[in-house]
Amino acid sequence: MFRPFEKISRTTFLTLVALEAIVFLSLWQSLPAGLIPSPLKIGEGLGGLITSSLLWDNVLVSLVLTLKALFFSVLITLLFSYLSVVPFFRPIAQFIIKCRYLTLTGLIFIFTLLTRDGSQLKLSLLVFGIVPFFTTSFMSVILQTNAQEFELCQTLGYTRWQCLYEVIIVGKADQVFEIVRQNFAIAWMMITMVEGLSMSEGGIGTLLIKYNKYNDLVHVIALQTVIFGLGLFFDYLLGILRHWFFPYTKL
Amino acid sequence: MTIYSRGETLLQVKDLSLYYDNKCILCDINFSIDDIIRPGIQQGQVVSVIGRSGIGKTQLFRTLSGLQQPDKGQILVRASQDTTPFEAPSLRTGLPWTLRPVHAGDMGVIFQNYYQFGWRTIEQSLRLAAHRNKTLKGMENDAIKEYAAQFGLSDVLKRYPRQLSGGQQQRVSIIQQLLKGSDFLLLDEPFSGLDVCVLDKVVSLLLKVSLSHEFKTLIIVSHDIPTAVAISDTVFILGKKDGQEGSTIVRTIDLMERGLAWEKNVAERKEFAETIREIKLCL
Repeated sequence: MFRPFEKISRTTFLTLVALEAIVFLSLWQSLPAGLIPSPLKIGEGLGGLITSSLLWDNVLVSLVLTLKALFFSVLITLLFSYLSVVPFFRPIAQFIIKCRYLTLTGLIFIFTLLTRDGSQLKLSLLVFGIVPFFTTSFMSVILQTNAQEFELCQTLGYTRWQCLYEVIIVGKADQVFEIVRQNFAIAWMMITMVEGLSMSEGGIGTLLIKYNKYNDLVHVIALQTVIFGLGLFFDYLLGILRHWFFPYTKL
Repeated sequence: MTIYSRGETLLQVKDLSLYYDNKCILCDINFSIDDIIRPGIQQGQVVSVIGRSGIGKTQLFRTLSGLQQPDKGQILVRASQDTTPFEAPSLRTGLPWTLRPVHAGDMGVIFQNYYQFGWRTIEQSLRLAAHRNKTLKGMENDAIKEYAAQFGLSDVLKRYPRQLSGGQQQRVSIIQQLLKGSDFLLLDEPFSGLDVCVLDKVVSLLLKVSLSHEFKTLIIVSHDIPTAVAISDTVFILGKKDGQEGSTIVRTIDLMERGLAWEKNVAERKEFAETIREIKLCL
């Protein structure tokens, strides 16, 4: 267990996770009381949050926004990534990739001018923030495509457009799920930021900002735990969906 | 001695040269493959291109398949006619044909690692190939089932390539290219890494394919001299001539002339051993 590259069973791994979590929480609990609340207090706060409709109403608002943003982001990413194999469109895809170095904060005013209301502003900011990361990941998948995949297509007498369809669109469809799964965290992280810009519709970001404002650390950390748990749930769900839609990924 | 005659030219390589970083890799390669006619027998052609490792066999393979363009010269193939894979050999007497430059897709190519699309089941992969063959229109599923049964793959049609053994993958690659309907089948090191039992099966499989159609032409690129020679009718030796930078065909051995083609247990004959020795001396 303490040797490099040692193989352990899944049960052993899960036991390790549980044990290490218990040790960490016990150590945290044994620390003298200060500004940082103890795990037990956070647990109480979490219990209160979970039983309140306040949490679930706000979670729902954030989830709907995230899913909308993911939907549009995937569409835009796929469009420009697929087209990137056509030399004419490659500069556009390359530019989108470089856009990940832009900070959203500097663009909020421009987006405010371009959008109708707070809802659109949040959605467009999220999409603008997510697309460069999605495109970077998917372009990397396309660039790493095994040359033999194209060659097999060619030897079967496919035209270049047919090769694009078979090798990139069909052949890499499972990777789209994997990319969404890997980058879901980015969307989840950004949602708390964009929701702070237009608080009228609520959302977990808004809730977090409110708790932060009153230094209610118990609820801040409890809410972070909920966000963390939801993130893990979606990670797991997307993994399951990927295996379900593309059974060969399990092999 | 088996009676045979040579018909029209099916493939012609003319003054082919390939450069890499201004260095000639393949220089002035010339050879042709003719239709071999045996009275009363449907007989395809099996030729081997033999050479040492690093001599440029893979480059020649890629160029022949149309995946890589030569810097000089050209490869001409018989313009394909719409013939079914197992059509009677009567075609050979009637229709004249012309030679035209090879394009990617003209030849069935079987790569050394038998690459298949990992996201397609075997049946789907075979269907993709069958759909390219106009002569199979509307009969794709029947043809797939027939080939799968012939090659002992009926049980694995619903599986993915990763679930197949190396031997099964090789058979799938061969069927795929047969379904596509090319007359030419180009095989890159088909005997590499096979154990003795599997090797025998592959050899009989290739012979079976070569007998499936009069124009079916197998071009085997290999460094396994005895196995390649045992199933071929012609051997081209890729090597270097004195003072020449790149590789070229240094020798052509007509095994039919020597009575070493289409013979069972040919490897046990004295002439076969002498031919192998002769080839080794050329390398």
